[in-house]
Amino acid sequence: MNAGSHILRTIGLNKFFHDPVEFQALKNVNVSIEEGEFVSIVGASGSGKSTLLYTLSTLDTGYSGTILLDGEELGKMRPDDHARIRNEKIGFVFQFHYLLPEFTVLDNVALPALRLGKYSEEEIYSHAHEKLKLLGLDDQALKKSSKLSGGQQQRVAIARALINNPKIIFGDEPTGNLDSKNSETVFGIFKELKEKFNQTILIVTHDMGLASRTDRTITLKDGEVVSP
Amino acid sequence: MNSNKPLARIALTHLVAKKRQTIVATLGVMFGIAIFIFQAGLITGFQTTFIDKTINTTANIRIHNEADKNRKSIAGKLHDPRKDWVVVRNQKPREDDLKIRNGNEIVKIIERHPDVAGVSPFLASQVIFKMGIAQQAGFVSGVLIEKEDLLFGLSANMKEGNTTRLLTIPNGIILGAGLAEKLGAKMEDLLSIISPMGVTLEMKVVGINESGLTEVDKTRAFVNLRNAQKLLQVDGSYITDINIKLKNIDRAGELASEFEKRFGYKADDWKTANANIFGVFKLQNMVTSLVIASIMIVSGFGIFNILMMIIYEKMPDIAILKAVGFRNGDIKKIFLMESLIIGLFGGILGMGFGFIITHIVGSIPMNIKGFVSMKYLYFNQSPAFYVTAFLFALLVTGIAGYLPARKAAKIDPMDIIRSK
Ligand SMILES: Nc1ncnc2c1ncn2[C@@H]1O[C@H](COP(=O)(O)OP(=O)(O)O)[C@@H](O)[C@H]1O
Ligand SMILES: [Mg+2]
Repeated sequence: MNAGSHILRTIGLNKFFHDPVEFQALKNVNVSIEEGEFVSIVGASGSGKSTLLYTLSTLDTGYSGTILLDGEELGKMRPDDHARIRNEKIGFVFQFHYLLPEFTVLDNVALPALRLGKYSEEEIYSHAHEKLKLLGLDDQALKKSSKLSGGQQQRVAIARALINNPKIIFGDEPTGNLDSKNSETVFGIFKELKEKFNQTILIVTHDMGLASRTDRTITLKDGEVVSP
Repeated sequence: MNSNKPLARIALTHLVAKKRQTIVATLGVMFGIAIFIFQAGLITGFQTTFIDKTINTTANIRIHNEADKNRKSIAGKLHDPRKDWVVVRNQKPREDDLKIRNGNEIVKIIERHPDVAGVSPFLASQVIFKMGIAQQAGFVSGVLIEKEDLLFGLSANMKEGNTTRLLTIPNGIILGAGLAEKLGAKMEDLLSIISPMGVTLEMKVVGINESGLTEVDKTRAFVNLRNAQKLLQVDGSYITDINIKLKNIDRAGELASEFEKRFGYKADDWKTANANIFGVFKLQNMVTSLVIASIMIVSGFGIFNILMMIIYEKMPDIAILKAVGFRNGDIKKIFLMESLIIGLFGGILGMGFGFIITHIVGSIPMNIKGFVSMKYLYFNQSPAFYVTAFLFALLVTGIAGYLPARKAAKIDPMDIIRSK
């Protein structure tokens, strides 16, 4: 196996919650995602899908085992390093879109790049425009984000996830809150990102129809990976 | 991040979104600062006025003969107190206890001292002022008016008449303004003064003087030294005090001890003489500081409150900022900035407001007759107050902002993302 092509890999990942009762949410999870793969995590409600996603993406800590993201071991890092990883290498799309309501669509997309500070402000805003164009939202750029429809907001969130050209995009039920038409659009965008830009994507979904159209499905049952 | 610009923009957006609360918090700081400037200016302005007037009526150094109330009795001098126990009851103070011997010679010697600007011999007597049926207790200062004028600038405070008339009219008297008012005395009026010795002198009002110290103006009059000696039935060399004006008042302490050693009489400098007043000032300053501090604490709570409100409302924003890579320190900075923006604007407005209000109040005629009489309230406009008040505003807002900022920095984005 060529380790270099792995964007993400876990070895013996276990996670416990202690409150309100001792509960093992992840049991000896060993998964790996290769560059350019579009992978979905499925499983019954409460099977640990979200927990796995957030643990892999540095937001949830307090686990045992090893997580390697783009060659770096996450468990050995301090909070500021996790913030840097999320800023540079990870894009997030949540079920609820979480845009900053008082900022314009363009500003929302630009924020992670402003934090990164790799480019000038001018370049950042031109990149943000490009991403919005890619998602068919360039005409909405200067509107306040709260003025957009749910489907549009989710596409803005995808543009924001793309702004720093991340190694991997994590989505927790990114279509879960959309009607079937918008859901189809958003899924189509993921598919296109994978095919056109070789973007690595890992999403949680309970829609088996959508899951079956991804490259690969990881099925969780009571915190364990099972064969489908 | 090459600059804090995005953080500052987020901070500003939060404040604009909470316009009303932000304005209230800013006004809180503004009033705090304005009251700071007002209070400090008023109190120190009052104290400066009071010190100025007190220095004008207190000699830089006063030489006097301290009545030796614990004088040893003759019997006490004859016996060794370690062996014998001597008690003398009803021991009388000696009559000449207060006299400065060779007073006139001492005056001449001190006048030649290089650090001395002026010397004035002095003899005071308690008297009853009597004009028609009006009677008033008080005291007369027997002085050589030219010398006294040089020390205390009497001519500058003459409400009516002038000091030199005391030289040409031997039985002239200059009344304090409050005293003249009580007696109903006007210029050229005749009145009598009666001393404790029973001596009565007929005097003519040749001037009315207003020192500005209300208590003094109500009880004091000036007469020629010779008349005071007549009232007390003493000879022409009898004086009880020698008042001295120095070229540099800061040397009063050391020169007082020099004169005390040299002439063997008690010499008080003006600071020692007014020690109780400085004590009162200290208390005043303490109370003022307390008032100012409590106002600033209240403004601080205002800021603390609004920041906590913003944080609770903006939990999802904080979670998303952290999720996309903003660090705990960035979040802390955002909220500290919000607090300092309020401090900055409140501070600037407060300095402006303080400046305006002290100038308006300072230009309203008040004719205050309290401790000191003043036509206008005098505000000390020291730039130091403005700078201190401004720095204080930033300090208070910084502290008030720190706790919420730290709380915001500690928010775990997972708590918010999971709860949806
Ligand atoms: N912070 C937490 N504290 C305690 N238990 C939790 C916490 N988060 C999730 N769980 C539990 O872990 C299990 C997996 O949750 P989750 O990963 O959200 O499941 P899924 O996303 O597959 O529905 C559930 O039983 C849930 O109750
Ligand atoms: Mg879930």
